[in-house]
Amino acid sequence: MSLKAVILAAGEGKRLRPFTYSEPKVMIPVANRSLMDYVVRSLVSNQIRDIIIVVGYRKERIMSYFGDGDDFGANITYVNQDKQLGNGHALYVAREHIDDDFLVLPGDSLVDAKAISDLLSVGAGHGALVIESDMQAKYGVALLERNRISDIVDKEIEGATNIVLTGAYKLPASALGAVAKFVEEGNYVLSSAIRAHLPEMQLQPVFCQGLWIDAVYPWDLLEVNHAALADSLVKTSGKLENGVLIQGKVSIGEGTTIRSGTALYGPIAIGSGCDIGPNVSIFSSTSIGDNVTVEPFTFIKNSMIMSDCSIGPHSYLSQSVLGYGVQVRSHLMASSADSYVNLEDEFYRVSNIGTLVGEDCQIGNGVTIEPGMIIGPKSRISSGGKVTKNIPTGAIHS
Amino acid sequence: MCGIVGYVGSKDAQEIIIDCLKRLEYRGYDSAGIAMISDGSISLKKSVGEISVLESIMGNMEGNLGIAHTRWATHGKPTEKNAHPFLDCVGKIAIVHNGILTNYMDLREQLVKEGHEFASETDSEVFAHLIEKSAGDSLMSEVLAALSKVEGSYAIAVIKNDNEEIIVARNESPLVIGIGHRENFVASDVTALLKYTNEFVHLQDKEVARITANSVEIFDLAGNSIQRESKRISWSVEDAERSGYPHFMLKEIFEQPQAIHESLLGRLEGQEDELPFFYSRVGSVKIVGCGTSYHAGLVGKYIIEELSKVPTTCQISSEYRYSPITESKPLVVCITQSGETADTLAAAREARKRGCKTIAITNVLGSAITREVDTVIYTRAGPEIGVAATKTFVTQLIALYLLALRVAGGRNAITSEHRREIISSMRNLPRLAQNVLNDAERIHTLAKKYKDAHSMFFIGRHINYPTSLEGALKTKEISYIHGEGYPAGELKHGPLALLSCDTPVIAICVRDHTYEKMLGNVREVAARDAPVLAVGIEGDIDLDKFAEDVFLVPEVEPLFSPIPIIIALQLFSYYLALERGCPIDKPRNIAKTVTVE
Repeated sequence: MSLKAVILAAGEGKRLRPFTYSEPKVMIPVANRSLMDYVVRSLVSNQIRDIIIVVGYRKERIMSYFGDGDDFGANITYVNQDKQLGNGHALYVAREHIDDDFLVLPGDSLVDAKAISDLLSVGAGHGALVIESDMQAKYGVALLERNRISDIVDKEIEGATNIVLTGAYKLPASALGAVAKFVEEGNYVLSSAIRAHLPEMQLQPVFCQGLWIDAVYPWDLLEVNHAALADSLVKTSGKLENGVLIQGKVSIGEGTTIRSGTALYGPIAIGSGCDIGPNVSIFSSTSIGDNVTVEPFTFIKNSMIMSDCSIGPHSYLSQSVLGYGVQVRSHLMASSADSYVNLEDEFYRVSNIGTLVGEDCQIGNGVTIEPGMIIGPKSRISSGGKVTKNIPTGAIHS
Repeated sequence: MCGIVGYVGSKDAQEIIIDCLKRLEYRGYDSAGIAMISDGSISLKKSVGEISVLESIMGNMEGNLGIAHTRWATHGKPTEKNAHPFLDCVGKIAIVHNGILTNYMDLREQLVKEGHEFASETDSEVFAHLIEKSAGDSLMSEVLAALSKVEGSYAIAVIKNDNEEIIVARNESPLVIGIGHRENFVASDVTALLKYTNEFVHLQDKEVARITANSVEIFDLAGNSIQRESKRISWSVEDAERSGYPHFMLKEIFEQPQAIHESLLGRLEGQEDELPFFYSRVGSVKIVGCGTSYHAGLVGKYIIEELSKVPTTCQISSEYRYSPITESKPLVVCITQSGETADTLAAAREARKRGCKTIAITNVLGSAITREVDTVIYTRAGPEIGVAATKTFVTQLIALYLLALRVAGGRNAITSEHRREIISSMRNLPRLAQNVLNDAERIHTLAKKYKDAHSMFFIGRHINYPTSLEGALKTKEISYIHGEGYPAGELKHGPLALLSCDTPVIAICVRDHTYEKMLGNVREVAARDAPVLAVGIEGDIDLDKFAEDVFLVPEVEPLFSPIPIIIALQLFSYYLALERGCPIDKPRNIAKTVTVE
């Protein structure tokens, strides 16, 4: 019997706003592949091909990307979670597709094949993938006793460890009964159901030796992108004009033209159908999606430019993220510095951050955006504008 | 993408194999072939085109064991020679293959040196000769020996003239084994076999299986036996390949941003200037097509005239032959999704007879139309299964924009500045399409409101007059609501008499030179108590003063407005049909490809 995997991908991932405006967090592209693409491929590399994806928020984006799994060597079944009540409930709606031991994992972390094989090292037993970290513990931290997880607690409580649960488990089919009982009583949190049945399940803590990074806040995307680029393969197609300089790992997609005098210092990933240059400088670690145009004398460093953006001449972007379809006329100044970023009225200190621009924004000529700003989707910034505070969705800034 | 089928049992294998192969047609249909064993010899039939073509030429083939293949070439020509199955030199072994062998050049060279004769240009054929060369004590050992030499991806099925078995193997290409009662099956996916069985054994990478009527044995590449239980699945025949979508039509509507992107790839920078002489002295253009393709042609008339100022006419394919031969010879553009539409093929032949240059716009590589014309612009929409054309219509429009740019460029009718603006507008199209889709729920809500109408009018002017025709066609064919498209100015010359509070009017109001006149038409209609659903462009604050409901698509240059607007109307007709409970992917009396005149 082959092991099945359930990927939980129904939630929006609100904390990653503005980049979840029209697609769920699992679909955010890093190194030009969606986060969940890494999860699916890592499972397939470990011979896990029967994959059940629980979808909800903007599910069409997921279904159109993965199809029936054929292109990934997987056999994908979609299960719809109409209301995103919690990860326990998400597993609950997929229960009819599982009849044996199974894997369950979140779809929104950057993982590699090693991380999955670590989890599979429990063999016939059951386990939870954990990492030692001081970062936020979305799924709680584990207390251990004789190489078994003895309790799952909040990170904030006294006596908590730094053994953070990644949310990836290998569980027995009987866990579904426990989950069903909790869900039917109105408790939708997966770790609550697991916690109540720890003695029977005998979960081994598996320390992840592979790659496992979660973007908790939108600015974390740059770090995740950096890690993904370091791990990515180079493939070059498209057309390079004379006098293009390429150093390091640079991927260029089909139908892309890189024009004369452009310098690319990898790692960089450029998608298909782009038109870049002449005389553009792009530095590591930068991802540029499909169908992007970058006009002459623009400088881009350690940034993510998602598909369908156009960036006019003489622009400067450092440590910044542009969502889908952002249009920049010319002379944009988006520099980076250590800043306090205002996210939903809470201030976070972020080192060396540029600007975070939501999808379909239109930015006029000669705009300056101060470091650490969040620009809401579909907003417009008039020519000559100076942005010193966040701009809400759809607003016009002049 | 290709599809593989195999059968071994006691029934008439040909009928079952062809039936299963048809269910794989979504994986490709530009050439197909079948090999059968009867009385110790292999019989083979191949053809270019859909499986129905193979069916018509193959005749009755005896036997209870056979394999077959259907192909969708995206690189290289689909010819009979390159169609599967392939035989070894003496015709005792037949193979079908899906995948790509990376080291086939070396293998082929070696085999040719050893005296093997190749019949095709494909990588797949080396399998047949490698197996022949192995000459082991069983077909299984010969296949294993051959597999030890190849690198790359494969799903293969192999038969030999004096054996009652099929040997299959897979690596990185799909293959499943279906378990029956005293019969067994193999196919590229379970959907092909669901009519015959719901019990399957999934072969995994680097595994080989020996399948007879009564047994399935699995081995690894070293020949060690592997035990695997079969699984029963509860899928219906219908919902397997729809990837979670309730209908193919909705899946295909949501694939449009990607289809547009693919259709533009590498074509905007003048990299693909095939036959530039074509466009240099075009005096007039005639576009022919049927159904949705005809509507694309009507939009094309406005696009070509707007960009190149070349007079353009558009005609229904079946009517073209009756039109008189004109003094000047127009460039004839033949639009057909499948490339097999009989009426359009006939029109292409007629155009050639008249000495006109011809271009085809089609979605299927190597289809019949491509042999009837001088040059081809392919729409790269991928296979479309829903009967209602959606992504193929939109990509046909893309091909027409590209064609118009060429014609305009050839005549110097467009400045480089204007050309750059047009290209930049075209680059925005994938995103525009996505943004309409992001608003699908709002269209669903509107459809719920209008679902009980018996009759609807779609009105527009200029380039959006044909958009209104296409919107009406979608509504007719999918939701069975009588939909009629009209140039808005013609309302007062007749149809106004039909309007009442029960006949909604869908008015396309784009802010170009037609806008004021369209507002006048909307008022005219509203005065007759007909509810108006206006489809406009973002930022329009006047429309809802006159219309009962308004749906706004993202801001777009008027010349490109048909694309977001038709996507909105596709969704509207889809949700109307959904709310009315219509069989969306298979509307009554309509076939996807019409190969009769």
